[in-house]
Amino acid sequence: MSRRSLTGLIAAAVAATAGYFLVARPPGISSYLVFYLGTPAVAAAFLAAGIAAWLRWPSSRLGLLFSLVGYLTLLPALDYLNDAAGFTIGNAAVPLAGAALAHLGLAWPTGRLRSRFERGVVLAEYACAVGFSLLGMLFWDPAFSGCDASCPANLLLVHGSRAAWDAVNEASAAANVVLTVIVVILIVRHWRSARGWSRRAMAPLVWIALVIGAESLVTDVTGLYRLPPMANLIFNGWAPLVTVLGPVLFVISAIRARTARGALGTAIVDLEPGAPPGRLRDTLARALGDSTLQLAFRGADGFTDTAGLAVDPAQPDPGRAVVELTGAQEAVLVYDAGLDLEPHLVRLTAAAASMALEHSRLQAEVQAQLELVRASRARIVEAGDAERRRLERDLHDGAQQRLVTLTLALGMARSRVAGVDPELEALIEAAGKEAKEALTELRELARGIHPAVLTETGLAGAVQALVERSPTVVEITEVPRERFPAMIEATAYFVVSEALANVAKHARADTAQVSIRRLPGRLAVQVSDDGAGGVDGTRLARGSGLAGLADRVASAGGVLRVDSPPGAGTRLEADIPCP
Amino acid sequence: VQSAASILIVDDHDGFRTFARGMLEAAGFTVAEAATGAEAAETARSVRPGLVLLDIQLPDFDGFEVARRLAAQAEEAAQAGEAARAGGPVIVLTSTRDASDYGGRISSSPAAGFLPKDQLSGAALRRFLTPP
Repeated sequence: MSRRSLTGLIAAAVAATAGYFLVARPPGISSYLVFYLGTPAVAAAFLAAGIAAWLRWPSSRLGLLFSLVGYLTLLPALDYLNDAAGFTIGNAAVPLAGAALAHLGLAWPTGRLRSRFERGVVLAEYACAVGFSLLGMLFWDPAFSGCDASCPANLLLVHGSRAAWDAVNEASAAANVVLTVIVVILIVRHWRSARGWSRRAMAPLVWIALVIGAESLVTDVTGLYRLPPMANLIFNGWAPLVTVLGPVLFVISAIRARTARGALGTAIVDLEPGAPPGRLRDTLARALGDSTLQLAFRGADGFTDTAGLAVDPAQPDPGRAVVELTGAQEAVLVYDAGLDLEPHLVRLTAAAASMALEHSRLQAEVQAQLELVRASRARIVEAGDAERRRLERDLHDGAQQRLVTLTLALGMARSRVAGVDPELEALIEAAGKEAKEALTELRELARGIHPAVLTETGLAGAVQALVERSPTVVEITEVPRERFPAMIEATAYFVVSEALANVAKHARADTAQVSIRRLPGRLAVQVSDDGAGGVDGTRLARGSGLAGLADRVASAGGVLRVDSPPGAGTRLEADIPCP
Repeated sequence: VQSAASILIVDDHDGFRTFARGMLEAAGFTVAEAATGAEAAETARSVRPGLVLLDIQLPDFDGFEVARRLAAQAEEAAQAGEAARAGGPVIVLTSTRDASDYGGRISSSPAAGFLPKDQLSGAALRRFLTPP
């Protein structure tokens, strides 16, 4: 709405209310003051709600209807004018506000009437209001209502007849009672058949309709009788003021929308990352207050919601509306069409859902990538191990074998020349010695590349061999004799090997203990010593031998820990997952 | 007739067999050769060596398996009353690796012991034939 139209609407509303006070005369009896002040208060509330509704729902007729009720509430004040035309119009207009109120109630919450029957009911409301009013005016002499000669004339008066006037009033009251009952029943039915957001929007209207409907019935019936002043004051002075509940309806709906907006924000913040779509839908539905909300994804056979129901976004069921979500995944929200009155709420919900789904998708992607990286790291280490095994075997089958043969050949050559050519014999002996040393070095090199004993005998034999070669006194407290996958054996072996090497090099320990325990789902390797301790645990993170070892253990999916208080020895523990 | 001085060299490496044969023949042994585990069992049955120098890494079975089969073969022969002597041949495992690379597997095999290939000599083998 433009600023100009808004200013115009406000000016009109203010002018109408001010006009009331200009023309309306304060009542002579002070107890009627409530009616004199209550009428413009109710009207002003409707006018304000009308402007607010226009701003809030520019495309809906609700703003118009609220305003209409407001203006029609003020219109009868024209009869205060000391003028026959104003007096006539003011008196004829009295029932119009009630008809507009019924129209508003039936059109809530979208502003549109739902069926031809309901349009008929509303038409009947206006027709009865205008028709009976005009008809009654034909017979109404203002003197019937205690008006003296100072009253302006009823311009419509054809033939003053109290009997005819009473008859028209009775018929009007009867028609009003029927129409009021129909309107209230229709409103209750709207509420009962509504689902989700619309049902919540309808709930306060039902109470308000029951109250205003009851008031209307009482007024219609009591209007036919001459009541004692107090009863008249209550039924015709106070009671009509309950129509102020109409604008309250607007306030409740505005608060609802604001609350839903806040709840959506909180729900999205509280939703745990990677929550399944079903949980996302439940959270959104709860926050929004639309229990019918559906979150549907495109699959091979079209869209399916989180409960497994097929959904056709192109042709939603009656009373349902669809909003597409953005993001890599094709998804829609299907919601109660009543929510279309709150487009910002729909947009907010869609944005929240899109964001949550995108978040979940990205998280799943990162998780999948992490799994791939983990698997490829394990494969790289395994491939490295396999390559080292192959290298060791190649050395064994090739160079070592040839050096052995060479050693034998030199030995034979030496025995051939023994005692014949001492110089040559010495030369060959020296060559043989060199060959043997080369063989020893090559054997150590091969063992460093990959311990054949691990392949041959598994952890039990390999750890035994490590212990035998260690310069420190090492006790094996436990080691499983069974075989494990090569990667696991190699990882456990390198933990023990590196730990014993560190013990020998740095720990200044007298004894050390090695244990490898088979636990459910894992292999627990532990090497402890009684040395100086004080190994910096943070070295695990830096480029030391321990860091390399930690990487190696991590590549098998395990964890390496160092516990090394100064002066109290060092304990290195590795937990390696093991099927 | 089984001869204490007859040796069966089991190794898939031709060069090694050739030089080992030369060395052992020069040391006074009669030498037969086999290149695979299966061939070893066959040759042992016909030649009946007093000692089998058995490489651990063979193309078909490993040396431990061949040793087990040779021992089983000797047991069968003894039960069939063919026992011309007590027990089968003395089995000596050998490898370019050293004994520690095989952990406890050597001691738990029916072999009499292990001799690294580069330490092979007639004298070293004789020590296995005449235990102290």
